[in-house]
Amino acid sequence: MVPVSQETGQGASSIHEVLERVCRVMHIAEGFLPPAHAIAWGAASAPFVVHGVRSLTREVREHPESTLLLGASGAFTFVLSALKLPSVTGSCSHPTGTGLGAILFRPPVMAVLGTITLLFQALLLAHGGLTTLGANVFSMAVVGPWAGYGAYRLLRHYDVPLMVTVFCGAFVADLSTYCVTSVQLALAFPDPGSGFLGALGKFGSVFAVTQIPLAVSEGLLTVIVMRLLVQSSKGELTRLGVLPAKSGTTGAKEQAVAR
Amino acid sequence: MLPIDAAAHSSRWRRRHPVDKAVLGFGLTVLAISLPPWPGAALVLVTALAVLLGPAGVPGRGLWRAYRVPLGFCVTGALPLLVQVGGPGGFLTAAEGGPVRAGELLLRTSAATLGVLLFAFTTPMSDLLPRLVRAGVPAPVVDVALVTYRMSFLLLDSVRRVRQAQAARLGHTGRAAAWRSLGGLGATAFVRAFDRAARLQSGLAGRGYDGTLRVLVPEARVSVRFTAASVALLAALAGLTLVLEGPLS
Repeated sequence: MVPVSQETGQGASSIHEVLERVCRVMHIAEGFLPPAHAIAWGAASAPFVVHGVRSLTREVREHPESTLLLGASGAFTFVLSALKLPSVTGSCSHPTGTGLGAILFRPPVMAVLGTITLLFQALLLAHGGLTTLGANVFSMAVVGPWAGYGAYRLLRHYDVPLMVTVFCGAFVADLSTYCVTSVQLALAFPDPGSGFLGALGKFGSVFAVTQIPLAVSEGLLTVIVMRLLVQSSKGELTRLGVLPAKSGTTGAKEQAVAR
Repeated sequence: MLPIDAAAHSSRWRRRHPVDKAVLGFGLTVLAISLPPWPGAALVLVTALAVLLGPAGVPGRGLWRAYRVPLGFCVTGALPLLVQVGGPGGFLTAAEGGPVRAGELLLRTSAATLGVLLFAFTTPMSDLLPRLVRAGVPAPVVDVALVTYRMSFLLLDSVRRVRQAQAARLGHTGRAAAWRSLGGLGATAFVRAFDRAARLQSGLAGRGYDGTLRVLVPEARVSVRFTAASVALLAALAGLTLVLEGPLS
């Protein structure tokens, strides 16, 4: 991996080097889970992905132009996870992007876009895996987006300011993703002495606890991105339903696109 | 283009049908996680490595660069297996049989990863995605995946250039500046992605876009001989594992 200067940002001279930084996002590696667990997590993810595929298919059939916007959304999700995130503890990692993705594109669409992204990461970057795709989809494309979106919508319902809700949505999405991964690993590898709970403590301390500062970082980054988007891309945010539509200016057809 | 995809485009097996390579690669992966780690996964690992570096002609250096990424996760994930929480010895003690479990896990994961890498290093994504429609994946989903795949490279290139421009303007000199630059980078990626989609839409509309993205897929036929040889190899590995399991364990 090419070292990158914090001062100048130099070193990221190729797409590969930018993408190699994705590697610190935590996906369960190929073959890590026993076959029964891999199948069970695949079955658990399937209804959400099928639901997402149905909404995406319906959307594309009604509005063929959505294909390009959804593809752009998928590429944005893929690239977002490649950004280098300065942690509040001083270390570096990468955002999961699930919180921002869920707020912008809604959880059902994120289930499909997340699955596509994870498939690309497994085959193009050897990151994650095909036998563990179901488990990774469940944590990163199902639980993360739904938990983050749930927190976001709940706070929006109580008229909490937009940026606070965006921070909470991204924070909850990031942390829940890593917590679910810890649960998945603990179920697969229970502790010989204390069983599932002991294993959860072990994997949680290795992965999830270290992710709390990173979840804060991702929340902050998402707020900064959203603030800039509110200034520069009001039209797109209105079309995606993040900002309220002005009466008479934006029709239902436009709102539906890319949701 | 990413290194694995670039290697796949120039692979010896580039012209083979993806099904041929899927049977062999994913078959090895399934064997790696299904058979006992010792000697099953070890045999799969050696076989996969031999096929990758031999008949498939995958460059060793590129393979190692891709292989070390999941290995890092596996080592980190295997570490907790070495200790146990609670018990008569204290709160945190060395787990009985922990090193064996960790070793077996590493063996299984390494072998399974090589199976997928065998497929990835010989099959370009552009050959695979359009054929997923025949496998039952809805066409709109495949179209979205195709656009995502092609747009990702352009967007990553844009992000790299924006990052260089930010660095040239001292955008990474302090913590506050770094955060501001990163936020700008994320927002720019969003704006550029949607701008590019809008321009693509205009271009396609001018060419009579009806909602279907038609792409040329290289002609290839499933080789019965290759697939049969792959199945025979997989069966031989499974049989050898069963034979050796008793004496070696």
